[in-house]
Amino acid sequence: MKAKVLFAQLSFVAVVIGAWEYGDRIGAIDPKLLPPPSEVAATLWALLQNSSFLANASDTLVRVIASFLIGAPIAIAIGFVMGENISIGRSLSPIFNLVLAVPQSIFLPVFVLIFGLGFTEKLIFGITHVVFVVAVNAMAAVREVPHGQVVLARSFGAGKFRIYRSIYLPAMAPQVVTGLRLGVIFAIIGILLAEMYASRTGLGVLLLRWGESYDVNKLMAATVLISAATILINEIMRIWEVRIGRWRQAVEEQ
Amino acid sequence: MSLRRLLIILVVLGTWEAVRRLNLVGPLLLASPSEIVGAFVKSWPDYFLALRFTVAEIASALALALIIGIGTGIVAGMVPFFGATAGPLLSSLFAVPLITWYPLFMVWFGLGTMSKIVYAAVAGFFPIAINTMNGIRGLDRRYLLFGQAIGCSRRQVVFRILLPMAMPSIVSGLRIGTGLVVIGVIVAEMLASFGGIGYLISYYRSIYATGHVYLGILFALACALAANWGLSLIEHRFTHWRELQIGER
Amino acid sequence: MTSTMPIVIETRGLRKVFSAGRAPITALLDISFAVREGSFVSLVGPSGCGKSTLLQMLAGLMPSTAGEVLIDGLPVRKPAPDKISVMFQDATLLPWKRVAENVEFPLEVRGTDAAERRERAAAMLSLVGLTDFGARYPHELSGGMRQRVAIARALAPDPRILLMDEPFGALDEQTRIKMGHELLDIWSKTKKTIFLITHSLTEALFLSDVVLVMSHRPGQIVGVIEAGLPRPRTYDIIGSAEFGAARNRIWKLISQDDDQSGDNGMASL
Repeated sequence: MKAKVLFAQLSFVAVVIGAWEYGDRIGAIDPKLLPPPSEVAATLWALLQNSSFLANASDTLVRVIASFLIGAPIAIAIGFVMGENISIGRSLSPIFNLVLAVPQSIFLPVFVLIFGLGFTEKLIFGITHVVFVVAVNAMAAVREVPHGQVVLARSFGAGKFRIYRSIYLPAMAPQVVTGLRLGVIFAIIGILLAEMYASRTGLGVLLLRWGESYDVNKLMAATVLISAATILINEIMRIWEVRIGRWRQAVEEQ
Repeated sequence: MSLRRLLIILVVLGTWEAVRRLNLVGPLLLASPSEIVGAFVKSWPDYFLALRFTVAEIASALALALIIGIGTGIVAGMVPFFGATAGPLLSSLFAVPLITWYPLFMVWFGLGTMSKIVYAAVAGFFPIAINTMNGIRGLDRRYLLFGQAIGCSRRQVVFRILLPMAMPSIVSGLRIGTGLVVIGVIVAEMLASFGGIGYLISYYRSIYATGHVYLGILFALACALAANWGLSLIEHRFTHWRELQIGER
Repeated sequence: MTSTMPIVIETRGLRKVFSAGRAPITALLDISFAVREGSFVSLVGPSGCGKSTLLQMLAGLMPSTAGEVLIDGLPVRKPAPDKISVMFQDATLLPWKRVAENVEFPLEVRGTDAAERRERAAAMLSLVGLTDFGARYPHELSGGMRQRVAIARALAPDPRILLMDEPFGALDEQTRIKMGHELLDIWSKTKKTIFLITHSLTEALFLSDVVLVMSHRPGQIVGVIEAGLPRPRTYDIIGSAEFGAARNRIWKLISQDDDQSGDNGMASL
């Protein structure tokens, strides 16, 4: 059945693209609203060679990577502390859960007011997007640590570092990686949103500008590019998640 | 509301006001409680009008996301081949930053309410569909057999047995979906709109009326919290049995 | 005792082949047996031998690849809820409904009016000894009590035939024994035809008039053993010589089958 499913998925995508192209050709779809895939591909190709586009894209990329690299370690540390220390966890976690429930993007204008339009501000906005989701997952990861094993190890006189490395790490790894994957996705969303709202450079700005000027070709090309890139990143991290899960099983079996 | 809690709140408000009055934080960054109240007194009709606007968009988007999301989820859950095919596609597409599609939606649906409703509805659709699908897929097959054995039609099996059983999953999907719909509408309004709470927030930000901006954010928060509260009611009504089940173990 | 009663369940050359995936799997091969009205028949067999598949086919929940299932001489193509009730190992009670509402549910589905439903549910609950528990929720009840509610629910539409798939499998031994007694009590009061699947030889022999013995996959009937034990039965009959002899006969059939397959299917005996 697996082969049939894969075939069905691929043919679905092929049919959609085919119908799309055909619809444009016969005029059922208005090419000024939705250009055919062939044109989108051509525009994309042109964009990828356009230095201005690449400059904006790299701006976005740098902001995403930076906010993730800064935010993730901090968040893991916070989450770990919250998970280990019950009183801290109990007092902080409702706040964290509340923040996750309440959309952070609403604070965007405040951030813009407070910090202006520069690089740092967008970075901080991205970081907050990352921190909350990664921390919550890190805290949940601590719950995965088998308490019984820790007690046993301590009774054998194992040092703290040893315990962290051989019991905590494998137990926490899968959940932490899930958090990281979500963190990357959230960082991308946060940065793009910040760019769309108040920035002079970056992919977000381009998207909004092209939208306002009805430059549908470039808009479609860029949107599809970003979507495809994000899906790719998500799938790669998911593979990593599965790998880590298997690794953890292997270590446990020792 | 205990006296202690009330005291804490008053202290917080007082400090907040003081911080602003003493100019420890500039007027552009922080609005004091009195400024926010002032903004409210001055412009509350505009805000309530905007609120109606926004709430209408949220309601429409939510209804759409709910119907299409739960519907898709049921079919994907009940028909194994469709579920196996659509499931991974849905999960992968969920990762896409939907905000990047908003400019396209603006081109396709204009700057008015339509683009916001479509955008927010798509945002809410994914978690609802995915969670519904997983909820139904994860059910013990014997419930399906039981329904058939007592003579239920397909429809009866789905609506009277499977859906109620899958409620906990569906509700958690609703939780996420509602959140995304509320953010979706307000953010979309902030980016490009003629009305609504998001529009007010953006407008007052552009003229640096900090008090009004904070007031707008409070209104937006109120929307989010209200939706959350409504959801808790639904959750309790439809899944109280689950909480008890977990409690008894 | 029941040898003059009409045949109510009959299978002829029943076969089931599952062809999904790579190699087709024959779950059931040439199953033929008959059950007389009012009798208590058990089916024993190792796990995975196709007992549940057979039960689903008897209930009209699954079509056969070849052969027939006849109820009252008529072929079964779909569920017949007014004639047959099915019970599964897990009580499959609806957790959001109260006990009484659960018992009423089959009647609700077929459109019986509310007052009649309630009366019937109350009667059934009293039959299984749970009169005061109608307003409780399933999670408040123990495993044994939940199965009793399931029995009450199965009896609510007043079916002539009760099909049970390892109904006491999830219960601890004491509760199992108790439930066995209660089931026999209910059976003698209601005179239904009961077809029960179990992997416990002791349980099968204790409860039934006839025990069908099934082989491992592909499932076939390797023997039909008449219990030949007097009724009413109490637990001490298990120590008797006749019980032991009957049990040995069943065991022989199973171990022959095991030897032929070289596998240990009957771990729970």
